[in-house]
Amino acid sequence: MKLITHNMLTSKCLKGVVTGYPLSINATNINITEVDYNPEFITRIIPKLDWEVLWRAADSIGHSDGLPQTIEPKFEENNEFLKKAHRVLLEVDIEEGNLVCPESGRRFPISKGIPNMLLTEAEVQ
Amino acid sequence: MEKLKQINRKCKRFSARLKTSKGVLCVETPSTNIVLCNVGQATGFLKEDANNLLQELPTVDLLKYIAAKGESHSFLVFADVESSRLFHEAHNGKAKAMNGTVIYMNYVEGVPSDEILCTVNPPKGLKIIPDFITIEEEKEFITLFDWIDESNLKNRQVKHYGYEFRYGSNDVDLNAPLDKEIPPQCDILWDRLRAQGIAINVPDQLTVNKYLPGQGIPSHVDRHSPFGDTILSLSLGSDVVMDWKHHSNKYVPIVVPARSMLVMQEEARYDWQHAIQPRTWDPIVQIRKHERVITGDTRPRDTRISLTFRKTREGPCECCYNILCDRFKKDGELDNVLASHLEELHVHQVYEQIAGHFSTTRHKRWPRVDEFLQSIPSGAVLLDLGAGNGKNILNRNDILQIAGERSAGLLLECSAHTRAISGSDCVRLDLLHSPLRDECADVIICVAVIHHFCSEARRKQSILTIARLLRPGGVALITVWAKDQTKSNYLDTNKENRDTDLVTTIGGVNLPIHENRTQFQHSDLLVPWKLRQIRDKKLTNTSDTFLRYYHVFEDGELDDLCKPELKIENSFYEEGNWCVVCKKL
Repeated sequence: MKLITHNMLTSKCLKGVVTGYPLSINATNINITEVDYNPEFITRIIPKLDWEVLWRAADSIGHSDGLPQTIEPKFEENNEFLKKAHRVLLEVDIEEGNLVCPESGRRFPISKGIPNMLLTEAEVQ
Repeated sequence: MEKLKQINRKCKRFSARLKTSKGVLCVETPSTNIVLCNVGQATGFLKEDANNLLQELPTVDLLKYIAAKGESHSFLVFADVESSRLFHEAHNGKAKAMNGTVIYMNYVEGVPSDEILCTVNPPKGLKIIPDFITIEEEKEFITLFDWIDESNLKNRQVKHYGYEFRYGSNDVDLNAPLDKEIPPQCDILWDRLRAQGIAINVPDQLTVNKYLPGQGIPSHVDRHSPFGDTILSLSLGSDVVMDWKHHSNKYVPIVVPARSMLVMQEEARYDWQHAIQPRTWDPIVQIRKHERVITGDTRPRDTRISLTFRKTREGPCECCYNILCDRFKKDGELDNVLASHLEELHVHQVYEQIAGHFSTTRHKRWPRVDEFLQSIPSGAVLLDLGAGNGKNILNRNDILQIAGERSAGLLLECSAHTRAISGSDCVRLDLLHSPLRDECADVIICVAVIHHFCSEARRKQSILTIARLLRPGGVALITVWAKDQTKSNYLDTNKENRDTDLVTTIGGVNLPIHENRTQFQHSDLLVPWKLRQIRDKKLTNTSDTFLRYYHVFEDGELDDLCKPELKIENSFYEEGNWCVVCKKL
């Protein structure tokens, strides 16, 4: 699971949970996988993300190094920043661990890089 | 001499071919095992044909004939090397199969195992009491029932006593008892059962089934509500293997001998389905060290008569086994709980079972889907809901592609396929309880998914999810299977519709089984998936055919389902599917 995906996941479907966002991360195995760098894509995707959530998520697993906590105004012109963002968004891959609902504490296991967000019938709204 | 050389050359060629394409190692020195290089199950060669070759060879002792499914070679195992040597000498390059093919053979070291191990325990609450009646009593029971003018079901004859069992609704009409009561000769059975410690109420309904060899009964559970907690079945005339299947996909074959009494209570009564395969033979099942082994050997079936005794009851069932229970069924529309159970059984579990094979058959994107995906602008967030093996994830690094899928098996295929694609990721999710943020997507595709939801309410809920996840102005492409297949390549003109088999799946819901490659006769049905092989010789299910639930869509039905939450931009039919491109306003 990449951090860009984490940015969009919520446990709001759980019974009694109001926002379920952001999920906290317990990572036991993190892979760094180099993938194509496309600065235009990063530039366009950043406004669609919750940057603060991204930064905190990266920080919580020890990968916030050099990443600004807030986005600077003309970030699209800062190639160094875009490269860092690219790495954190797309290259840091959580292979094994858990996602944890901030309200209920329900854990969602991540195995072989895939978070399992399935709920039982009794758990849903 | 020249002839012999020719045969040897042929055998060598077969030997090389078997080694490279099948991994079968032929040897020069005689052993107890022989491979028949060019006859087998695929060429129509049978065990009887092998036995026929022994006629002129009285001293030859053949132990086993092993023919794997779909193979055009087969194996013989002899008791000793002398036997196999005699057989080889007498027939190699000389004997002919029924179709005239000259049979060539080689010695082999080992033969493949034709045994299947079954580690599943029999259902709790299932008792089989052997020799429950004597041979004399069995004869008397058989003569109780004449079979003139009896109603014929598709695959067996039946008679009813006490109340008529109604096959449409799988119950009885308590207001219409039959004149024929259960024959008094049956009364000896009740005390015998009690003497075995089995507490029963005296049954008031009897169904007598007569199965000729080759006939069987589809997988079913006796409906919960109309009948009590004990169902009894007395077997006459022939042993049979009954297949038991739990909804968690456990499977166990159980031998039901003639003259035995089968008692179904607890899980066996309420939580397992049972079936008899329509075959003229049964596999020989052995118990070895508490493990059940389905041997490659078979025995022929005889005519079997079974007496199924039930006690009728009124009101909704009160069992504690939910999955197969019919008390959730409301008139017409399926209750949400029942629909989700049906999906678990006939969608989710099936995809887990067939994931590997299914994936190998799904490579190509449909042209209009591909066109739609290619046109997505750079920087977009795309959700592929029900992504399957990820065949619709494009090799683009300028969009974010999240593949959401419920099947763990398919997701592993998907993840292997998309790993190298820069902006792609996989999430295991349920479309109806999607763990994604509201309005996070610019584009959603949902290809061949919504037809797997078993109720209108759930299909609508899936559309509401798509609308919730799309940002205003975002677009979705949704496709479902169409009931009308006349304009697709799906139909096989050589195939006619047969009588449809009905399967009582769960909760007393009867679903027809679709005949593949024919026009759809129903809107809600089960579509068979034939698995290519049993993996690792370990049996996980009754057979290699799995039934997937589909709701096939009428013209305009998908458009109606999408409105008013989504605005239809384009609606079209492609290769047997209804497709819409729609926009969130």
